Amino acid sequence: MSDALSDDGSHEDSQEDVMTPAELIVKLEEAWLNEKFSPELMENRSEVVECVMEQLTHMEANLQRVKKGDAKASIHRMEIDRIRFVLSSYLRSRLQKIEKFFPHVLEREKSRGEGEPSLLSPEEFAFAKEYLANTETYLKAVALKRMPPNLQTVDMIKAVPQPYLDSFVFLRVKERQENILVEPETDDQREFVWSCAVDLNVEVCVLVWMAPGDHEPAEITRP
Amino acid sequence: MDPAEVEFLSEKEIVKIIPNFSLDKIYLIGGDLGPFNPGLPVEVPVWLALNLKQRQKCRIVPPEWMDVEKLEEIRELERKEGTFAPVPSPYYMELTKLLLNHASDNIPKADEIRTLVKDIWDTRIAKLRLSADSFINQQEAHAKLDNLTLMEINTIRSFFLDSLNFMYKLRSNMQPASSKGKAMDY
Repeated sequence: MSDALSDDGSHEDSQEDVMTPAELIVKLEEAWLNEKFSPELMENRSEVVECVMEQLTHMEANLQRVKKGDAKASIHRMEIDRIRFVLSSYLRSRLQKIEKFFPHVLEREKSRGEGEPSLLSPEEFAFAKEYLANTETYLKAVALKRMPPNLQTVDMIKAVPQPYLDSFVFLRVKERQENILVEPETDDQREFVWSCAVDLNVEVCVLVWMAPGDHEPAEITRP
Repeated sequence: MDPAEVEFLSEKEIVKIIPNFSLDKIYLIGGDLGPFNPGLPVEVPVWLALNLKQRQKCRIVPPEWMDVEKLEEIRELERKEGTFAPVPSPYYMELTKLLLNHASDNIPKADEIRTLVKDIWDTRIAKLRLSADSFINQQEAHAKLDNLTLMEINTIRSFFLDSLNFMYKLRSNMQPASSKGKAMDY
């Protein structure tokens, strides 16, 4: 799912240094919307976040030097406020997901292979670990220590719901792709793969995760 | 997503204004604006246009499509077509609301425009409900929704997706041994 939603993730990293501030803001907004609509936590975009923060601090430092009542300064401030809103909303929605799925997020972080990009930024990782520790301490303090000894542990992985990855989603197609098929829904639900409809003329699709198999895929008809 | 957030996104759209003040070029993070000269039209994002308008520093030029004749055409097309017809702007509803609420004195026939856009919206939402209904009845797995705007999707998103997920869960539970035995977040 994350791949389908954030295909901007990896292959554009190399061009990061030539990105204009305007493009950076577009990237941030994209990350914000993807994070908002995806059922699971997406890969962290801390490079974007850091660049945006840098831009904001830089601009705010400049504004400090401007005298009061300058017409331009108020416009700059408004822009800063707008960007700051997107940035905090983005970070907040990530934190909410971390709070919601913390054992699974940490589990994924643990099983992450060498060289694979981390799901969490270092700050988010610290937050998730602390959240886990605090939750455990809390559960212990209010209930567990009064339980019989054999019932004093809680497996967080089992106790906390995991993200619902078979969720239907709306998705917008950004560019025309060939050879992508949407398979019809089937009853075989053991192993799911992500298939998606990608066509320039398809603006939005409702999708479901579908099972692979030997059934005929339904091709998207192109107008 | 909160409708206010969709409106927030629509405020990035570009609109033409005629300022009554002069100001040099502004170098914003999101791009350069201006220079502003009294009487000369200049393109700015909607959020700035509305702010200047509220401070009575400019006149807003309504977007080309915000015109009774053009909207009537769109409305007819929308009523004739079974699918979603192309919309004049991906944020047509939000922009109409914002511009008419804050700058109705700059837009000719504002009331007619309001009614027309509302008609277009109503027709489209009725279609959306109808197609959601048949989507569910026919147990489809995917649907192509050309020309649907973010605000329109937003009116149906949480209700529709949650219902689909729930029905999917009910259906999949009818088969034995399909559950993974783990708690899931629905």
